[in-house]
Amino acid sequence: MSDKKIRSSSQLKTLREKHRDRQDSVKQWVTVCGGTGCRAYGCLKVSGALQDEIKSRGLDKEIQVRVTGCHGFCERGPLVVIQPSGVLYQKVKPGEVKEIVEETVIGSRVLDRLLYKHPTSGEKIILEKEVPFYQKQKRLIFGMNGLIDPTRIEDYIANDGYEALARILSGSKPEDVISLIKKANLRGRGGAGFPTGIKWEFCRASAGDVKYLICNCDEGDPGAYMDRSLLEGNPHLVIEGMLIGAYATGASKGYIYVRTEYPLAVLNASIAIEQAQERGFLGDNILGSDFSFDLEISKGAGAFVSGEETALIAAIEGRPPEPEVRPPYPVESGLYQKPTNINNVETWANVPWIVRNGAEAYAAIGTDGSKGTKIFSLVGKINNTGLVEVPMGMSLREIIYDIGGGIPDGREFKAVQTGGPSGGCIPKDLLDLPIDYESLLEAGSMMGSGGMIVMDENTCMVDVARYFLEFLRGESCGKCTSCREGIIAMHDILIKICAGRGEPADLDLLGEIAEAVKAASLCGLGTTAPQPVLSTLRYFRNEYEAHINDRRCPGGVCKELITYRIDPNACTGCMVCVRSCSVKAISGEKKQPHTLNAELCIKCGACREVCKFDAVIVE
Amino acid sequence: MNNEHTIGSVLVVGGGIGGMQSALDLAEAGFKVYLVDSSPAIGGTMAALDKTFPTNDCSMCIMSPKLVECGRHRNIEIITLADVKSCEGEPGQFKVRVEQLPRFVDAEKCTGCGLCVANCPVRNTPHFEQKAYSPPDLTDEERQKIDAILEPHRKNGGSIVSILQEIHDTFNYLPEHILNHVALAMDIPPSRIYNIVTFYKAFSLKPRGRHIITVCIGTACHVRGAPRILEELERALDIKAGETSEDRQFTLETVACLGACALGPIVVSNGEYKGNMTIVKSAKLISTFKQMEERAVNE
Repeated sequence: MSDKKIRSSSQLKTLREKHRDRQDSVKQWVTVCGGTGCRAYGCLKVSGALQDEIKSRGLDKEIQVRVTGCHGFCERGPLVVIQPSGVLYQKVKPGEVKEIVEETVIGSRVLDRLLYKHPTSGEKIILEKEVPFYQKQKRLIFGMNGLIDPTRIEDYIANDGYEALARILSGSKPEDVISLIKKANLRGRGGAGFPTGIKWEFCRASAGDVKYLICNCDEGDPGAYMDRSLLEGNPHLVIEGMLIGAYATGASKGYIYVRTEYPLAVLNASIAIEQAQERGFLGDNILGSDFSFDLEISKGAGAFVSGEETALIAAIEGRPPEPEVRPPYPVESGLYQKPTNINNVETWANVPWIVRNGAEAYAAIGTDGSKGTKIFSLVGKINNTGLVEVPMGMSLREIIYDIGGGIPDGREFKAVQTGGPSGGCIPKDLLDLPIDYESLLEAGSMMGSGGMIVMDENTCMVDVARYFLEFLRGESCGKCTSCREGIIAMHDILIKICAGRGEPADLDLLGEIAEAVKAASLCGLGTTAPQPVLSTLRYFRNEYEAHINDRRCPGGVCKELITYRIDPNACTGCMVCVRSCSVKAISGEKKQPHTLNAELCIKCGACREVCKFDAVIVE
Repeated sequence: MNNEHTIGSVLVVGGGIGGMQSALDLAEAGFKVYLVDSSPAIGGTMAALDKTFPTNDCSMCIMSPKLVECGRHRNIEIITLADVKSCEGEPGQFKVRVEQLPRFVDAEKCTGCGLCVANCPVRNTPHFEQKAYSPPDLTDEERQKIDAILEPHRKNGGSIVSILQEIHDTFNYLPEHILNHVALAMDIPPSRIYNIVTFYKAFSLKPRGRHIITVCIGTACHVRGAPRILEELERALDIKAGETSEDRQFTLETVACLGACALGPIVVSNGEYKGNMTIVKSAKLISTFKQMEERAVNE
């Protein structure tokens, strides 16, 4: 037992078959989503209860409980899927576990109340794969997340894990791997979309005794979490991708850079690295070849700019993460002045699939310029919050309405924000836009790491622009004056507009500063920082004008421009809002319409939140 | 300066690098320039900088020719040790009152040889005062804790960021004397540690409260109403985001995104995720904590 190392691909094959047989011997297995989102719902209590229940019935030989990575359907967590039948139960509570085991696992009867209900038709859906949220997706990369336990390398191996690596190591030349990736036209999933194969080629061509690989999991875009879910849900996939990349580029040492806000991803990746070292997938003479590579984790500490590649290198070296002038590019002189190839988590995760299925199969998916699939995190004012993997070129409408289930409470869609703080807002009339790198750029936004924040009629676009600048104001490293001072100047103007003190000339000034910041800053953060302002100005100028000319906030968000009042016709006099008001601005008797004293009101919104009759009106 | 006849004079307030360059440009254009500075000499802060952005040139190399030129230029009159008291009028017609403090040295005769400074029994304090450095005092317990953190890093040459993270986890913040100790023990300048600490959001140089409340202000939480939740918590705790209450019971923090967007708006209270927060729930959360503390005090 002391030596678990696998020394050849035939040994790997034997091991895979052994684990497959072992898996087949289990009659049923119950998977519980153990992503960060579901953990916040308390899924570990559910999985614990399941284990206890099954053990107490003496069924633990035939029925296995598996805590997996994120399934993606975060809206309905905790998620429980019974395999192989594929029955999906959502919003499961620990108290319901007994019934699930008794009825569904043993009795093969479906519990109606735990099924997913279609938000519009009201129809109950039994099987996971038939849920519309999953139906339209194409889960090449993300699919395995729901099947395997990320802390068990055996699960990964049983699901064709490390097969791509074995195939590469038995006969392919590094140049072959690079040309394969180039043929598949895989582009960087971190945002800019640089062709991965070309980057690898540059790195391979650079002279250096040591070369490094870095996996960028800094994912600082607020509202995007697909990288985290991949790394915490299927870390071996990322490691395998990196191993293939290392073989192709000639790198001998790699780092996975993770934000500290993702403790579970750090933990699962560390476990995976340890297991891979133990099995000999990392270390010297991998699978009996003369290829050697090892990995290490480096933790960030909360700085958006450290996702920029030169800043990330500085962070790993222990310097303050300030971006540096390129060229030289990291592929020539990066970490410790050695050639360094940096790719995003999702990019690495795409690599094993391409090796296993071939470049043609991969290039057949997607649009002319953008191939394969992309994982988006669909969040904000949307019915089905979650991670969705779709082929490039799918329209926004399909993503938001068919997969996302539309906007809650039948409210009107206003815009979708993509690309994080560097991206822009896409309005309603572009809903049929097919999503790929080029189309998003044309629409004044960008792919970014794949955050999609949906906004409804109750969102103020000026406030959104102000929000992003506030974020960037704090995250600008301060090296370039244009970025440091320009963002502050734009932010100040937006605060002024949101407070109802804007002037018509402010809009031109905003545009002017934005262009200057864009032109004069060094790194991606600065050059794209004005993007939220420019794109909202482009599509929602009317909202800016409403703030400035009419002193009105159409979204009902900007505090200085709104007032609260109670609709006497809708108010039933239930007294709930009276009790919720912390400044005693609402008065009234039971069963009599209440009144709100606007002078005392601090516009905190508590009354509107508690009112069940929509009697609190914001204008 | 396309004017055919450049007449009149200009007053430049502040003799730093910007002021000097403006004065030189204007003087070259034919204006009479008064260059006013409140310190005994022009030059400003730039002299204290090592390198400059974006070319990484040495700042004195950029500055000294300009200093000399300003001093020599016939159109520039330098007025040091002076403050602008008032400014009236409109463009083209300003009247400025400048108050100059006495220098007690005849500027015409002084060559700047430095002898009087060296021989003055009552020295002036230098401009850039440096603190005397002494090794920090640590209690035995602190020393034990910090050594336990540093030991494995000494062997592996680990990065300073992970050392700081471990200290932050152990002490709940980054105490100054501990950082000084780290600087000494790891042979890293304290300024560099300070640079890194202030760069990252996850580090606090001030002691934090017993209860740490973190509000996610990611975009998804923002559009779902996180700002109102944060305001309510600020009101209930009577502190602003990033602050600690006076009794050190509570620290209110924000985080850029937790990636649990389905639960937004989300608040983390002592590590526990509270999803779908409302204003009413936030108020209740704080009042429950406060009741708990009161009960603890009474018992």
